[in-house]
Amino acid sequence: MTVQIGFDSAWQDEFLKRIDDDGPWGNWELYKLAVEVENHTTIPDFEGLQAPKHLPNLTPLPHQLEVAKQVVESMNGKAILADEVGLGKTIEAGLILKEYMIRGLVKKVLILVPASLVSQWAMELNSKFFIPAAAQRKSYVWEQCDVVVSSIDTAKRNPHRDIIYSLDYDLIIIDEAHKLKNNKTKNYEFVQNLKKKFCLLLTATPIQNRISEIFNLVSLLKPGHLGNESAFYENYKKDSRSLNDDAHLKELVNKVMIRNRRADTGIEWTKRHVETIPIEFSQAERELYDAVTELRGEGDWVSSSQFSVMTLQREACSSREAVYFTLQNMLKRQEQPSIAFQEKIQYLIKKVEAVQQNSKAQKALELIQTINDKVIIFTEYRATQMYLQWFLKQYGITSVPFRGGFKRGKKDWMRELFQKNAQVLIATEAGGEGINLQFCNHIINFDLPWNPMRLEQRIGRIHRLGQEKDVMIYNFATKDTVEEHVMKLLYEKIHLFEKVIGDLDDILSKLEFGSIDDHLVDIFGRSASEGEMRIKMENLTSMIQFAEDMKEGGLNAATGNS
Amino acid sequence: MQQQEIHKFLERYFHANGCEIIDKGPGYMTVQLTIDLDKELMNRPFYWHYLEKTGGVPNPMQLTLITNQQLAPAHIKGEVIHFGSPRLHQIFHSARNLAGYIRLYENHRQAPGMQVPLRPWLGMNVRVSYQCDRKRDVFKSIGLQLINGQMVESFHDRLLDMSLTPKIPDYSFTLSPLIMPGSGVFRVANFIKSEIEQEEHLWAEEARKRWQKDLSLLEHFYEDAEEKGESYENEKAALQEQYEPKINISIINGGLFYLTDSAV
Repeated sequence: MTVQIGFDSAWQDEFLKRIDDDGPWGNWELYKLAVEVENHTTIPDFEGLQAPKHLPNLTPLPHQLEVAKQVVESMNGKAILADEVGLGKTIEAGLILKEYMIRGLVKKVLILVPASLVSQWAMELNSKFFIPAAAQRKSYVWEQCDVVVSSIDTAKRNPHRDIIYSLDYDLIIIDEAHKLKNNKTKNYEFVQNLKKKFCLLLTATPIQNRISEIFNLVSLLKPGHLGNESAFYENYKKDSRSLNDDAHLKELVNKVMIRNRRADTGIEWTKRHVETIPIEFSQAERELYDAVTELRGEGDWVSSSQFSVMTLQREACSSREAVYFTLQNMLKRQEQPSIAFQEKIQYLIKKVEAVQQNSKAQKALELIQTINDKVIIFTEYRATQMYLQWFLKQYGITSVPFRGGFKRGKKDWMRELFQKNAQVLIATEAGGEGINLQFCNHIINFDLPWNPMRLEQRIGRIHRLGQEKDVMIYNFATKDTVEEHVMKLLYEKIHLFEKVIGDLDDILSKLEFGSIDDHLVDIFGRSASEGEMRIKMENLTSMIQFAEDMKEGGLNAATGNS
Repeated sequence: MQQQEIHKFLERYFHANGCEIIDKGPGYMTVQLTIDLDKELMNRPFYWHYLEKTGGVPNPMQLTLITNQQLAPAHIKGEVIHFGSPRLHQIFHSARNLAGYIRLYENHRQAPGMQVPLRPWLGMNVRVSYQCDRKRDVFKSIGLQLINGQMVESFHDRLLDMSLTPKIPDYSFTLSPLIMPGSGVFRVANFIKSEIEQEEHLWAEEARKRWQKDLSLLEHFYEDAEEKGESYENEKAALQEQYEPKINISIINGGLFYLTDSAV
């Protein structure tokens, strides 16, 4: 077998020139040192990791080293890193990147991450891995720096897009890659057209809903690995939710995907303490809630979906401000609102105005004062967020807001402010993802998201590697409202809060029955009576429990991880 | 490289570059850089440009390097150097950069009065890199006698046992090469290549298999598509870059060595 052999001739040219010029000649001691350097830096084996020797300040965990080794040695540098949240996928990616750089296999690197994580990635690569990564801020960075971190939204837009396509990258890393599950999106197309010599896709949730997601993800990494589209869907049901149905498919996926679970890592995790705090409405709040609930019986005047009523109910459990905001929007959305409609809205606004205090906020205040340490409050509503900030300020408690919509720099700034100057961070749902706040160990769920995965993401912000204390989670649930139902029937029954993350996506992916969101809308929105609601809810929880039992049974039988 | 080796290495590097070590103790050293080394390491081209334009007094920097944080006194502030630190790799690079070419004479101890002939040798230290989606390197040091064409391996190790000097010693004369340095380099290259060709390249076979496998997957993926498009071409090119086995010979350093008959 012949292999092409290249010989670097630049040295020779210069050598002959120096002979002609009679020098200059190097120093013997330096010459010897150069050879010593060579002996220290040559890597005689294809196998094994060099990176740890270069990283004295980093002690990678055994599972992280194992991942890096496996990706380099048996996955040829193309892999989906799908560890559960908080196991350090960034560290794994950093190790792999470092390994390739040390070995001289990778020079030009593109790292695409959510906007909120750009600075953090750049900082970690610099400080932990001594990799001179630059956060993309100006368009010349693409060409000037070898390792660039950017958000995908920036990268896919011109002029950046054209520059990126004109460059040859050795390694592409994409964080939160589950966002590329849909192959019809611009982001997907953008990534698909990148030249991927080595590629790492990082995601904690490789499958959220259907099996097509894993097909799209794998096809991005290694087109054809799961067959072509038509063949794939012939073999596997498109809407199938479970990977485990098919041993062959599972095996194929495992060739390109590594997934560690908390339980497998043998790391001692700090505990989660969950406390449900029942909230008692004041008279005025109760009236507002009831008034909103009555809308359901009012037939078609509201002309919008049942969902609006649900939304209003949930908002009423959060703050009057949230309700008010939605009411205003409802009014605005109608081009020519009927008199009856306007009156109804006015009636509700009166109810809103009648509310003088927020029972939850009072409770939150008490709690924050007793905790006397940093606290994160999550709410689903921006109006509540703003109200809370104002409210806490009345009592001399400093807080910073956090939203998904913030620009990168602002997110970093807010995180920093929270760490150094403020006691409370108030985040909306969209702020839950992509920010690490291990320095805090108290979370107040001011209101609860319906999708348990979102809840997990909230908790995952603080319950991750690096968290040294037990994590305290306080769930507010207003008595005799939809909130309490969700809380009691769904969350508590399946012990969702105590669950560790990965179990959950497993469980959910086993449910072949549509998204949790849809079910909840159906249960709360379309049930004619309390009784019906309860029965439907119980059905849902027992299905989840069933899936859970199935999983546990499966776990005992299975040898590897899925 | 152990921390102690690094410490030793740094001392030798600065010493070889004519820098004075103005303070040192367990686990640290402070070096007064020379102008040249300041330019080499400190990355401040504007300062030097400015100075040359204005004709000011050059003020090269001092550098404090800490090789062992446990041993170094607490009040010493400086850069912590370890095997992975960018500064050390900059210095590695610099050592290679500053000593790429050399000419030395054997410092023989012959009785005065006798003229000693010194034979010309071409010495080359090379790195052979075997690369596919993985990589390994081999260090080789080859010496070629430029009169009779004798070729020896581990040449550098032999040089280490000799006393060498940049100036021709007294009572010595050099013999002229019959093989010109240019064709000498060519011979060394061919020698290394023929050695490589005799090796078994299982790794390359394996890499080609992996390549072929991924390529056929790719073909299958685009089987149904009428227009395969840009992403197909990209993927195909990427697979080639990823897997195609190549061997590269790069030269670390080398030069002319004038040695006595008995030296090698």
